[in-house]
Amino acid sequence: MKRDLISMDDLTLEDIKEFLQLAATVEELPAGEKMTKLVGKILMVMFFEPSTRTRLSFESAMCRLGGSVIGFNHQMATSVAKGESFIDTIHTVENYADIMVIRHPREGTGRLASETSRIPVINAGDGTNQHPSQTLLDLYTIQKFFGGIEGLKIAFVGDLKYSRTVHSLIRALMKFKDQDFLLVSPDTLRLPEYLKRAEKQDTVRFHETASLKEAVSWGDLIYMTRIQKERFPDLVEYEKVKDSYCIDEKMLEHAPECLRVLHPLPRVNEISYSVDRTTYAGYFEQVGNGLIMRQAILLQLLGVAI
Amino acid sequence: MKTGGHILHIPKIEKGIVIDHIPTGHGIHILEIIRSHPEMKEVVVTLGLNYRSTKLGKKDLIKLEVQELTPRIVQHISLICPGVTIKKITDYEVDERLTVRSPQVVKNRLQCRNPNCITNHERHIETCFRLVDEQKQTFKCIYCERVFHLGELRPLIS
Ligand SMILES: [Zn+2]
Repeated sequence: MKRDLISMDDLTLEDIKEFLQLAATVEELPAGEKMTKLVGKILMVMFFEPSTRTRLSFESAMCRLGGSVIGFNHQMATSVAKGESFIDTIHTVENYADIMVIRHPREGTGRLASETSRIPVINAGDGTNQHPSQTLLDLYTIQKFFGGIEGLKIAFVGDLKYSRTVHSLIRALMKFKDQDFLLVSPDTLRLPEYLKRAEKQDTVRFHETASLKEAVSWGDLIYMTRIQKERFPDLVEYEKVKDSYCIDEKMLEHAPECLRVLHPLPRVNEISYSVDRTTYAGYFEQVGNGLIMRQAILLQLLGVAI
Repeated sequence: MKTGGHILHIPKIEKGIVIDHIPTGHGIHILEIIRSHPEMKEVVVTLGLNYRSTKLGKKDLIKLEVQELTPRIVQHISLICPGVTIKKITDYEVDERLTVRSPQVVKNRLQCRNPNCITNHERHIETCFRLVDEQKQTFKCIYCERVFHLGELRPLIS
């Protein structure tokens, strides 16, 4: 049976661990050997909305495994799918490639593509719903920094109400044992209650604060997100909070040595450039890990052993 | 002919289908569902409202002069009113009894409430919802993965 990667909800803890293990193996593989793994395979990249970083990451991952890439970006999408249904577009392009990656502004397109297509489908973002490769690369980054994903204290900062990245990562982390989360957000952008409900309630604890300062000395990891202006009906409210969720070198003076700061990027001004040269900056390594995790995903779904 | 204790005051039927334990007020909804199926248009129906019930306090009841309800109709009822009992009556006795449970999967009967869900934009696609919590009557769209209360979801017009 063909495998797809559509939603983190489809993955068990064992599935997630399998991806993490495979990524670690991929990272150890010499570049020359890697180049032989997907020779002759074609990745179809279909981006119906802009997301240059994710697209380049998938394209680079495929090229580094020796495969080829074809596809289109959002500017070409309208002419590709001119008057055609999404289902027909999938039926057409499945003939041209061995695996496809899709980003689309509507929720549910990843699932629909996987049901329609004969070849494996990777969901690279369906509206506000899922973006599983981002979550897997975040988990891989955390595992690399701390040697494991259990017993960690992780602070989430910024827009916790609407951030898909944060929601997905929290739900995935909750599958692992013994987590402490510190939620740092303006009152209007707090994490929705329903996301806090766990199956194994006793092993996950949520704490809340409005102070970023507290988060700096509190835990192992700070996961920053952008606070978007569009989320505020009242711009006065936005002006009030926008600077209280920015981190700089000075704030990190009293941080524990092991602390790492992550961010799904692109940043606006949540992380000052002065943080880049400290040992706390983990966000560029995170980008590198994204490339490795996406190679692991391509190998896994194409059933190529390494 | 046996008489059955506390339901004595409800006239018995010789044979047919009785839908029992309908929470009061919902009888009319179930009647609407039944009448929306063409094969039921000519069937003789009795609707009883506000009977006393030890289990529910008050209940509604429907009697149908028909041999059987099709699985389609039973599923339709289970969507609107899970928990009701469907009894098949033969010779004034309950021959078979079935408590209607919420379906695990509802295919192509409900419309997703998320306006940005692909099922609301693609023409030839069936909707599909999976039961999340039977007690709370919540269902998840398998496409956009949003969770809705059953009451929020409009039936698809086919
Ligand atoms: Zn939906």
